[in-house]
Amino acid sequence: MTGAGRVLSSFAALVYAMILSPIVVVVMLSFSADNFIVFPPSGYSLRWFQQLVGNGPLLAALWLSVQVAAVVTLLSLAVGVPAALALAKGRFAGKAALTSFFLAPLLLPTLITGLALLLFFSPLKLTATLPGLVLGHMTVTVPFVIRMMTTALANLPDDIEAAAATLGATPWRVVRRVTLPLATPGLIACACLSFLLSFDETVISLFIAGPRASTLPVEMVRYVEGRTDPLIAALSVVLIVATLAVVLVVERLVGVARAVGK
Amino acid sequence: MSYLELAGLQKRYGNSVAVDDVSLLVEQGEAVALLGPSGCGKTTTLRMLAGLIEPNHGTMTLDGSEITRLPAHKRNMGYVFQSYALFPHLSVGRNIAFGLEERGVSRAEIDKRVQEGLALVRLSGLEQRRPKELSGGQQQRVALARALVIQPSVLLLDESLSNLDAKLRDAMRHEIRSIQRTLGITTLFVTHDQVEALTMCDRIAVMHRGRIAQIGNAEDIYDRPATRFVAEFVGRANVLPLARDAQGRATVWEQPVPVEPTQNADLFVRPQRMRIVPVSEPAGGDTARLTGRVLRSVFVGDHVEVLVEGAGGQLTVEMPSGSTAPTEGTEVAVVWPRAESRVFAREAT
Amino acid sequence: MTASRRLPLLLIPATLLLLVVYVWPSLGLFRNAFNEVGPTGAMVEAWSLATARATFHDSFTFELTLNSLWLSAVSTLIALCLAYPVSLFLFRTDSRFRGLLAVVAILPMLVSGVVRVFGWLAILGDRGLVNTTLQSLGLITTPLKLVFNWTGVTIGLAESIMPYMILALLAGFGRLDRTLEEAARSLGASPFRTFRRVTLPLSLPAIALAAGLGFVLSMSAYITPKLLGGGRVFVLATEIFEQATTNTNWPVAAVLAIYTLILLLVLLVVSNLVARRLQR
Repeated sequence: MTGAGRVLSSFAALVYAMILSPIVVVVMLSFSADNFIVFPPSGYSLRWFQQLVGNGPLLAALWLSVQVAAVVTLLSLAVGVPAALALAKGRFAGKAALTSFFLAPLLLPTLITGLALLLFFSPLKLTATLPGLVLGHMTVTVPFVIRMMTTALANLPDDIEAAAATLGATPWRVVRRVTLPLATPGLIACACLSFLLSFDETVISLFIAGPRASTLPVEMVRYVEGRTDPLIAALSVVLIVATLAVVLVVERLVGVARAVGK
Repeated sequence: MSYLELAGLQKRYGNSVAVDDVSLLVEQGEAVALLGPSGCGKTTTLRMLAGLIEPNHGTMTLDGSEITRLPAHKRNMGYVFQSYALFPHLSVGRNIAFGLEERGVSRAEIDKRVQEGLALVRLSGLEQRRPKELSGGQQQRVALARALVIQPSVLLLDESLSNLDAKLRDAMRHEIRSIQRTLGITTLFVTHDQVEALTMCDRIAVMHRGRIAQIGNAEDIYDRPATRFVAEFVGRANVLPLARDAQGRATVWEQPVPVEPTQNADLFVRPQRMRIVPVSEPAGGDTARLTGRVLRSVFVGDHVEVLVEGAGGQLTVEMPSGSTAPTEGTEVAVVWPRAESRVFAREAT
Repeated sequence: MTASRRLPLLLIPATLLLLVVYVWPSLGLFRNAFNEVGPTGAMVEAWSLATARATFHDSFTFELTLNSLWLSAVSTLIALCLAYPVSLFLFRTDSRFRGLLAVVAILPMLVSGVVRVFGWLAILGDRGLVNTTLQSLGLITTPLKLVFNWTGVTIGLAESIMPYMILALLAGFGRLDRTLEEAARSLGASPFRTFRRVTLPLSLPAIALAAGLGFVLSMSAYITPKLLGGGRVFVLATEIFEQATTNTNWPVAAVLAIYTLILLLVLLVVSNLVARRLQR
C-alpha cells in the first residue's frame, strides 16, 4: 500500500480546514474595518491594532501574563528538572509511586484545581496576587516539566554517562558535563512549553485572578463576554504569532507531538 | 599477590543471577580475555570491576588495596564501551581530554597528552572533529585513546570490536594488541568471539552461566578443554557418543576406541587433529582409528571439510586445502593421536 | 554508590511544592464539601452532609448532569468521527510533510482557548462566515442561531478536544503493523474490506481510549460552554464556577466538584476497561 489513498486524504483535508478555520478567521477579522464581528469583513484596516496599542487594561494584563509566565517557567525548571533527574537516573524504593504522585495533577481537570486553589488562597489573601498566580500555574507546569524531562533524561544513552564516570568525573560532574549538555535541546523546548502553558492558562487564573491582578486570558474572557468587536482578534493575532514561534522552536528541538504527548 | 584479584564476585538481579561466583587473578601487564556466550555474565563482571555495578558478594583488590566499594570515578580504570560512548557534544580532542580535565591536569600537559593519545591511535589532526563525523573504526580508536590517556591501572574493553566490519576488526585486533604490549598495560577484554580471545590475550577465562569454566592460555583452552561447555564453545569439535562392547571396551560406531569406557559420555575430537588414510593402512600404537564412508567433501577456502559417515553418526575432518580429498562414497579410515581424545559426560537434560 | 543514594534528595523541592499547592488544597476542597451554608449565605464550619443532601435533592443538579453527559457524548462522537480519519491519514501518509501535518493537527491545543472560541464566534455568529455564505447563496433569509446555544458549544468542544484524541489515536495506531494491512490486500481484500476486517478491529482499543479522553475533557471544559453558550448553556463545569465565584457558595461548589470528579473517574475506568477488553 502506498500512502493514504485519495478518499482518506480528501477527508483529512476537510478536517484540517475545520481545525484551522477558527485561527484563519481570527487573523482575517483582525484586519476588519467594521465595528462588530462581521465575516467576511466589509472592509480592511489596521484600526483594531491601533485600538489594541491604546488599550490600557489589555496591555497591563499582557505584561502581567508575561511576568507570571517567566517566573513560573524559571521556578518550574528549578524544581522540576532536579526531580526529573532523580526519577530518570535514581533507583530507589517507591519510585513508581512517586512518579504517579508527580503526574497526577496533569490528570486532574484545571476546573477542580482552580477551585481548590481558590478555597486555599482566599483565607491567605493570595488571590489576585503575583505569588498566588505563580503558585497556581505551577500546579500544571511542574508536573509537565517533570514528565517531559524524565522522559528526555531517561532516553539519554546510559553508557555515555558511565563513560564519564570511568574517566574520573564525580556523579555531580557527570550531570554538569554530560547529562545536562546532552539534555539541553529538551530543556529549552520544555522551557518554551512551560511558558506557553502558563501564558495560556485560563481556568485556574479565572478562579484566582481578581480585578487587581488579571492575566491576559482572563481579561480576554471578560472582554468577549461583554463586547463583540474585532479588538480581541487583533490581540489574538499577536498571540498566534508568538505561539507559532514557540511551536517552531520546539518542533526543531524535540518535535511537538513527542513533547505534548506521552 | 597478583596485581588484580577478583574473589567470589556475585551479582544478582532479583531472582536471576548474572554473575554467580567469579574469582580471577591477573598479573601486571597481562591481557586476559573473558570469553563466553551472551548472558554468561562477562560484561557484568567487567562493569563491577569498573565500579559501574555494585556486587552483592565478593571482593576486588587492585595492587594490594581493596577497591570493592570504591565509586567508578575513583578507580582509574580505562573503559572502552561496546557503543564507544563518545560524548556527542564534545570534539574528538575534548573527548580525549575529558579524563585529564577531571583529574585537574594542567592545560599544557593535557594538550601534550591528547596529542600523544591521538598519535598512538593514528588520528593526529582530527581533534577538532565531532564524533559523529568519524567512521566506526575511527570512533573506536578515539574511545581507546580516551581510555588510555588517563594512564589507567587496568584497561577494560567491552566487546569493543563487535560493531566493526570483519576487515577492520582484524586490523584493530592487531593494533590494540600491539598498543597493549608496548604500554605494558594490564587489560581485561570481554568478547564472545573466540578468535579475538585467542589472538589478543595472554590468557583466556571462558565464562559459562556466571562462572569461570576454565582459565588458561590459548593452547590450554583449545587443546585441553576442561569442561564439555569449553570444548563445544571454543573451536569446533566432533561429538561422538560413546558406547561399550561385550568385552567392556569403549566404542564409537561399534568400533573400539582407546579411551576409558564411561557411561553417558561423548568423545570429543577436533576436526583439524584428524587425518584421513586408506582403509588398508594399519593403525599405529598411539593413534585412534575409525572407519567410515565419505559422504561429501566441501572446499571452504583455507581447508577442505570432509564429512565421513559411520554406523550411527557422522564426523567432520578438516584437511589442509591442496591435499586431495577422497572421492565421495569411498571407504576410508579416520585417525587421530590418542592424546587428542577428550571424554565429557552428557549433561542431564 | 553514595551519589545515587543522595539522588532522591532532588525530589524534595517538587514534593514539598506539590504538597502545599496541590495535595493540601485538594484536601481543603474535600473538607469544604462538609461545611454548611447559613441562612444569610455565609459559610458555617461543620462536618455534615447537609450541603450534599440539599444539592442532590435539587433537580437542577440532575439536569446539569444530563446536560454535561449529553453534551460530552455528542461532542466526543463528532470529534471521533473527524479525528479518526485524520489520524489514519497521518499514520499512513508517506508525505514529506508528515511531521508538519501532525503539528498542524495538534496546533489548536497549543493556541489559547479564548482565541479559538473567538474564531468560532466569527464563523457561527449571526453575521459570521456560515450565515453570510448561506444568505448570499439565498438558502436562508434569517440567520441560523449557531452560537450562544447548545449547537455552538458542541461544535466548539468537538474542535477543542480533537487534537488530544488525534494524539491518543496515533499512539494507539503505533502498535498497528502496516504489514498486516498489506497482508490482507495480498489475500485479495479490497481497501474497504481491509479497513473493515483488519484496521478497524485492531484500532478499537485506541478508539475506546481516545473516546474516554475526549469525554473527560468535554465534561471538565469551562471556557467553551461559558463563552459559546453565552450564559444559556448550563453544565456542571459552569455551575461549579458560578457557585464558587459569583455566589461564593464554596460548600456547594466543592460538592459539585467532587461529584464531577467521581463521574470522571468512573468514565475513565470504564473506557480503560473497555480498551483492555478490546485488546485481547
